[in-house]
Amino acid sequence: MNASPESSWQSVLAAADRYAAAIGERDADLNAFLELDPGRRPADPAGSGPLRGMPFAVKDNIAVRGFRLTCGSRMLAGHVSPYDATVVARLVAAGAVPVGKTNLDEFGMGSSTDNSAGGPTNNPWDMERVAGGSSGGSAAAVAAGLVPLAIGTDTGGSVRQPAAFCGVYGLKPTYGSLSRYGLVAYASSLEVAGLLSYDLDLIRAAYGAACGEDTMDQTSVGIPDGDRLPPAAVRRVAFLGGELGLDAPTAAGYAEARRLVESQGISVDEVELATSDYVVPAYYTIATAEASANLARFNGVRYGERPVFAENPEELVRSARGAGFGSEVKLRILLGTYVLRSGFQEQYYQRAQRIRTAIRRELAKLYETYDLLVLPAYPIVAFRHGEGELDAFQQKLADRFTLMANLAALPALSIPAGVHDGLPVGVQAMGPMFSEERLLSFAELFAKDLPPQRPPRYASALADELASRGEEGGRA
Amino acid sequence: MDRSELDVTAELALMDLTDDERARLEPAVAQLLEYFSVMDRIDVSSLEPTTHALQEGNRLRADVPVAAASGASPRASGASPLADDILEQAPELEDRFIAIPNVL
Repeated sequence: MNASPESSWQSVLAAADRYAAAIGERDADLNAFLELDPGRRPADPAGSGPLRGMPFAVKDNIAVRGFRLTCGSRMLAGHVSPYDATVVARLVAAGAVPVGKTNLDEFGMGSSTDNSAGGPTNNPWDMERVAGGSSGGSAAAVAAGLVPLAIGTDTGGSVRQPAAFCGVYGLKPTYGSLSRYGLVAYASSLEVAGLLSYDLDLIRAAYGAACGEDTMDQTSVGIPDGDRLPPAAVRRVAFLGGELGLDAPTAAGYAEARRLVESQGISVDEVELATSDYVVPAYYTIATAEASANLARFNGVRYGERPVFAENPEELVRSARGAGFGSEVKLRILLGTYVLRSGFQEQYYQRAQRIRTAIRRELAKLYETYDLLVLPAYPIVAFRHGEGELDAFQQKLADRFTLMANLAALPALSIPAGVHDGLPVGVQAMGPMFSEERLLSFAELFAKDLPPQRPPRYASALADELASRGEEGGRA
Repeated sequence: MDRSELDVTAELALMDLTDDERARLEPAVAQLLEYFSVMDRIDVSSLEPTTHALQEGNRLRADVPVAAASGASPRASGASPLADDILEQAPELEDRFIAIPNVL
């Protein structure tokens, strides 16, 4: 390698105007960014290490001081964040530079990034198709080579599914290991910030810089020492079996992943989970219940969308929420309100919480025998825009492979597993709590024989400068 | 779930729905509630509910003011710059009060 990635990143940022113009041009038809300004936040000169000078993109439901924070919602159109999320602040302290805010399904609710007040994001592999969601803008920006790393949020697969659709790595860490301070809350007991990149070393470095206890987040946790297992410790892996309902490309990628793992001398068993039928209903009961409470704060009084006049204070709130929220958000607020209504709580919400206990126990038991569970990231490859291939209900059912990690607070990594008929396929590895390093090392096994591929629209000239380390696959 | 149940729920959520939204959301909510009934098939009587992702005690600190983390420079007024920055996001201000639309 001629220049270290650090110096090339800094040369890119030194020419922030040129970089902005280059990304902006590339993004005109992708719509990955809702706001883009690489020059707004100069690099912290005190930052050092592998992230120094690295540009990164941030999903627009995470606070970056001086940038808008719209959550893809009319409700927050024009809202500017006065502070940094802890995750952002820690990456900035390490020298990384936030360059813009990425598109998402409104408030993180969706699997396509079609449900955004900022319009849909297109998949860099096929512009007719979705980038996935809800962190679709972050995944598309990384996949297209516009930034080497992006932050997303994962409440039920919102980092891993778009990572799979766009052919990049997507890490959903252990719940609480990345502070939620500065994340606009949707489902507080399920969500966590996550990282997307082509480069496992960058994910490792960014996670290392951002993780750990935060006095601003009651639910944040320090990471116990001694869980960082070397790759050799992965000896037994469970592959989810049974009727998975995969499309042909996903089934082929999944089978190839299994052959690859077996070829490494790792013992593989096929397992089925007794709780699998209950994962989706329990998740959507809990997530919508939490959403109905969290989104109660958007009332049009202190900030955001509101009417010019109202008959009374209640009407002001009803009207602001009626005009500010999109259809999917309204659906989830209604559902969540319903399942929490007096008389229905035991039937829905409390039952779902008990099922959550059963799911957690079953997975904990599994990890007594196996080092990791491998399963698909999503049953199909990136679908076409609109609801022609998968309607909103079917999209929720298709979350069945990603929701478990959120219900059980476990880390999981979406790993590119080849390209079939021009579209990337992802598999997912899920480990016990705090096994992030194990997951990243496991993915390195794939990187040798099945490295991530770049889409035809990849901004290679930009990326050569930006992500030279990712291209080279090693540290400078 | 019928239309009147939907309306009661929307009222509890303090959220206006247009007629078009009511027509689209009613079957969508009903479909999901119907699907949620799958949960009736599992015996949960011996299971405690999981109410938090990780069980941790309260995290307390001394009850003393801490400077808010904000990149903004301190104001001559001595007020927290973060508080001022937050106020700047209000649609309309009168001094340091947020003005809401006329409600009659």
